[in-house]
Amino acid sequence: MTHHARTNATSPVHARHADDVIAAVQHAVRTGVPLVDYGRDHAGLGHPPPATYTRLEREGDVLEHDVRDLVVRADAGCTLGRLQAALAEANQFLPIDADDNLTLAELVDHNVYGPLRVGYGALRDLLLGMSFVDGEGRLVTVGGRTVKNVAGYDVTKLLVGGLGELGVITELTLRTVTIPPATQIVDLEVAEPQQLDDFQTDWLTADAAPAWAVLVFDHGACVVRVGYHGTPSACHAQLRSLETLCDQMTDVRIAATDEYGFDEDSRERAAARAWRPEIPALVKVIVPPASTGFVCQSLALTPTAEPARQLEAYPFHGCIYVGGTLNAEQARRLDAQIVHVIEPVDGLRIWHRRPRGAEDIEPFPPANAQWPVLLRVKRALDPHGILNPGRYLPVQDEPR
Amino acid sequence: MGVTSTVVEAFQAIVGSAGVLHERDALHVYESDGFPIARGLPTLVVFPVSTEQVARCVKAAAAHGLPLIPRGSGTGLAGGAVAFGGGVIVSTSRMTGIESIDVANRVAVAQAGVRNAALSQAVAATPGGTHLHFSPDPSSQAASTVGGNAATNAGGVNTLKHGVTSTHVLGVELVLPDGSIIQTGGGSLYDHVGPDLTGLLCGSEGTLGIITRIWCRLVPRPRHFRTIYAVFDSSYDACKTVADVIADGITPTSMEMMDGAMIRAVEDAFHYGFPTTAQALLLMEIDGIDQVLDEQLARCVALCRDNRATDVQQCADAAKRAELWSARKRAFGAIGRISHSYCTQDACIPRSKLPEAIEHICKLGEDVGMAITNVFHAGDGNVHPIMLFDEDDHEQVQQTLALSERILEYCISLGGTITGEHGVGVEKLHLMHKMFTPDTIGAFQRIKRAFDPDGRINEGKLIPSDRVKIELLRPTAPNIPGGALAAH
Repeated sequence: MTHHARTNATSPVHARHADDVIAAVQHAVRTGVPLVDYGRDHAGLGHPPPATYTRLEREGDVLEHDVRDLVVRADAGCTLGRLQAALAEANQFLPIDADDNLTLAELVDHNVYGPLRVGYGALRDLLLGMSFVDGEGRLVTVGGRTVKNVAGYDVTKLLVGGLGELGVITELTLRTVTIPPATQIVDLEVAEPQQLDDFQTDWLTADAAPAWAVLVFDHGACVVRVGYHGTPSACHAQLRSLETLCDQMTDVRIAATDEYGFDEDSRERAAARAWRPEIPALVKVIVPPASTGFVCQSLALTPTAEPARQLEAYPFHGCIYVGGTLNAEQARRLDAQIVHVIEPVDGLRIWHRRPRGAEDIEPFPPANAQWPVLLRVKRALDPHGILNPGRYLPVQDEPR
Repeated sequence: MGVTSTVVEAFQAIVGSAGVLHERDALHVYESDGFPIARGLPTLVVFPVSTEQVARCVKAAAAHGLPLIPRGSGTGLAGGAVAFGGGVIVSTSRMTGIESIDVANRVAVAQAGVRNAALSQAVAATPGGTHLHFSPDPSSQAASTVGGNAATNAGGVNTLKHGVTSTHVLGVELVLPDGSIIQTGGGSLYDHVGPDLTGLLCGSEGTLGIITRIWCRLVPRPRHFRTIYAVFDSSYDACKTVADVIADGITPTSMEMMDGAMIRAVEDAFHYGFPTTAQALLLMEIDGIDQVLDEQLARCVALCRDNRATDVQQCADAAKRAELWSARKRAFGAIGRISHSYCTQDACIPRSKLPEAIEHICKLGEDVGMAITNVFHAGDGNVHPIMLFDEDDHEQVQQTLALSERILEYCISLGGTITGEHGVGVEKLHLMHKMFTPDTIGAFQRIKRAFDPDGRINEGKLIPSDRVKIELLRPTAPNIPGGALAAH
């Protein structure tokens, strides 16, 4: 596989409807110039595009919102912000944390999730159906608009996190949720993040299980910010339960509680990730949930004479984002430190952004036993290798 | 298909003589699953106890040119575990090891043959695990295996709030049709890199490989419930209540419905005290924080009354709740009192279409003089119309299959699917072309070939195959269902 640091993108193709995408894919097949869409916030994720490519740009809108069934259908190029605005008119929302200007396609291609996953699940749990164009320009429609469906292979889920290598998603059908009438946000001060690791299951199985949770460092102190969604009485009952749990813990205390409207709740979650978009070095680290505190504690320590690291974690899912304004050497040191910390717990790391000069850092974990199958699936759906080739899976030279 | 001693010995060398069934009488136990119309006698049944044995069996089958059919405990309802035209059934029923229960990370690792209910029992018995469980709860959970649950992406009554099996599977170990072994997902990790192979394998009905080990996500076991039992004079009103509750923003744990004929069958059989003149019974359960459940309960009761419920009862009492749920779970057992045989369908439709759909489905039955009764997962829009017939009457069998097709076509026309939880198997295979475009079927077939280029495993099921076509009724022998015809 050859990757080129300098690339040559032809004029972008703008696609809104499936027909636009089909035409773009067929053109790519004819010319042999791959079609590339890494998304807006994920442009640095994975190996870079090939030397010459056509960039695909997406646009779109909400197509149908079935308010009574809590189901929405939208173009894959519709932005999350546009979708949320349309849903809000019917007092509903899509429980996914991401910036408003990301398209739904970008969310699915990169399996984007955030603190809300605790209470509402991940995208794979909310996706009911999709249409996508395969690497030969054929429109494939899988799933549907019902909440249960086992007809045919669940290709919908296959494409979640597929990094755009298996198909170009054109349309999505998603479950929506009613906006909760009340929200309550609680800040827990935790002296040692590792304390959280043994506490998680008791927390989740108590009435104190939150709708969302995020661990951040605020002026060096570890804070777990959690949100409760429900009726006012439900939020209060959950807060009481959390207080009882905290009474049983040493060095974990409730620092602040606030009752907000849902918009403020959304802003609080957005604030926790606001540091990420512009930072030059960003890694997503995945570990078993009960190791999150331990790993956070290790990674939060910034080596002397290095810019301060930033860190954000979703403890119940073992997901940690860490990064900073690092140069190439500092990024390599961070990578080595991550590998050292996560190896004992069988974790993995995915580099979302590597600083200039640090392209030699492997963006993904090493290949494993499932790769030959993944490569065959890639060849089945993209036989000419024209969809984001080489971004994750190695380019296959072998003819079909 | 006859079997030579060489073949038998090859498998006995892998799993021991007690791990191979090859005598005709013994094989008859395995000629069908929970869809009795589909029957086929396997050449052999093997019972491996480890992944390595499964892999060796797969290679041995390939060496002897025998097709493979994976099977859990055979509770599937679509003929997916039936060996049409012979072949080796690989039963995972002796792979019953629960290898680890990690309470801190909320993950259990189980061999594929562990029974669904046994897993949750083992979790509950683990220190710190009392309040965790494996959430999928198909009606067959006392018998069905976690491997079978994953392979069929099984549902159940609690899936409305807590999700189907694939929501609760973090990864699987799979023996591929060439005998190699892969693991998807990242063990105890809740995230991974790249395409979601685990999601693809859940619900693939044993057509891509044999699932041998599952990383099961454990979730909090609900502790506080309220159960509502509402009686209606029409199915329409009961179905409208279901749609209204969901639209109100309440997500019950489950919303199950029985129609009048089913109420009477259950009452005649088990004497729960249900009103036999009622036309619909809605059983609804909510779970959550004890102190606030009564708020939701009051709202649900009000919505039942708004839709003209003639009687609404509520309970928080564990004994009464257990009794009500036993009525639901025994419903299928009661059918035996009113019909010699039955066939149930499994379409799923948008919930808001339920009121019209249930009436229309019953009308389709009336049009051909066939009785249909309904007991179903109303909250999911997952209808289970039950057609009552006599399986010894060839004409009635044909009529049942034809009526099934009309019902499913109607559900597709509503934006629904031919199967919500039972799977396609062979039963609904002929409807796949009505559900999906040729390009989509083509994509399925290319994915199948990516895993199984030679069509060794469960070929001809779930997706149409150009190599094996299975006919449910042999034209020349109408009383002997089953049989496989090689197309090419």
